[in-house]
Amino acid sequence: MQSLGEAIANALGLLLGGDPELWEIVAISFRVSVTAMLVATPFALLVAFALAHFTFPGRKLLVTLFSSLLSVPAVVVGLTFYLLLSRQGPLGDWKLLFTQSAMVIGQIALAFPILVAMSHSAFHALDRRAWETARTLGAGPLRATLTLMREIRFGLFAALFAAFGRIIAEVGASMMLGGNILHYTRNIPTAIALETSKGEFAQGIALGIVLLSLTFSVTALLQHLQQRRMIGR
Amino acid sequence: MSQALFRFIDVRKSFGRRPLLRGADIELVAGRCALLVGRNGSGKSTLLRIMASLEPPDRASVDFGGGPLPWRRCRGYLQRHILYLHQQPYLFDGDVRYNLGYALKGGRDKRALVDAALRWGGLEALAGAPARSLSGGERQRLALARAWLRRPAVMLLDEPTANMDGEARHATLELLRALREEGYALLIASHDQHHFGDLFDARMALREGRVAQCADEPPAIAAVGR
Repeated sequence: MQSLGEAIANALGLLLGGDPELWEIVAISFRVSVTAMLVATPFALLVAFALAHFTFPGRKLLVTLFSSLLSVPAVVVGLTFYLLLSRQGPLGDWKLLFTQSAMVIGQIALAFPILVAMSHSAFHALDRRAWETARTLGAGPLRATLTLMREIRFGLFAALFAAFGRIIAEVGASMMLGGNILHYTRNIPTAIALETSKGEFAQGIALGIVLLSLTFSVTALLQHLQQRRMIGR
Repeated sequence: MSQALFRFIDVRKSFGRRPLLRGADIELVAGRCALLVGRNGSGKSTLLRIMASLEPPDRASVDFGGGPLPWRRCRGYLQRHILYLHQQPYLFDGDVRYNLGYALKGGRDKRALVDAALRWGGLEALAGAPARSLSGGERQRLALARAWLRRPAVMLLDEPTANMDGEARHATLELLRALREEGYALLIASHDQHHFGDLFDARMALREGRVAQCADEPPAIAAVGR
């Protein structure tokens, strides 16, 4: 087992030396999580908008449901989709288990409630006059909706970043649905879990640094944009 | 008497068990300004919002000159031709120029039209200012200039001079006068008629959910007798 100092030095070496295995793991993580976000976001925004804008039976129940799903453990999501996608499961014929597609499905299920709940809060908090002003100035429903999204863009960015942060760092669903196969479904969190269990900390620390750098950059960018907006007011 | 652009007939609206509008009738005439007075909570804003198609009535008909049609069938037409201005105008997150440009669908002469609206509203010096940094009077002028760019047939104004000092009110009234002279039909809802001087051609009152013509005013825009 390496000492902490040794492990950090080796981690920096892997990062700066452009270790192909490490960067391949990073690339798989991003490919899976970005795909999940691209699929989930448009539908989640539509659902959030509908929940905030329309009144229909069961609306409050749906809002409560999405809020409750925020705290569902990733491993439970992984287990659910494992049972659905396994050979004996109802979706077994799709042969998706232990593929990147299965990981994308699991991550969509994790990201969707976050996107809906946070976007719904942002839409709900927006002044009703914004929609009415857009409509009375001649905007059709689509343009008015896009206008609302522009008005609450920082709330929506926060929802996107929160959802992305959750799925790129989750272990449970990726491990169960992807199987942690090297060069194929091994992503940052499953690699960290594996390397740590083997007592090999260097790659885990290097991948941890990538995740932390990403989180820091995204938060700094969001804060910078918000500050620019405050100055512009 | 000029021909009515829109005639709203038997507008009814309840909130829960409380009836607010109990068969209000009102008509709008081009180039005329009507003042709708009534105490707070009498339903003025709700009536205006129904006319602008922002809120559905329980029941209402609209006559464009060819006989009454159900409100729901006219909704799109009303939305295209009637513009509603909130008591506190909502300004989009952006500068004054962006807010004015929102009323236009695009086109090559968009910039020139926005420049014209800046001049019309006396907002040239504020063109690049964040809209939400404007004072109450400037906000109302921007909202009116934006409405002017939209060029609807009718503008419905909900307490357009509320919470304004004398100077800002004077500037707003000048713009309203200009709109009337350009041929727009204006309907102003207010709880206080004294703010509007001689701007209006007719005065109506909303009482107990119905619109009544005030006897001392010419029937240029009239509540329809029922």
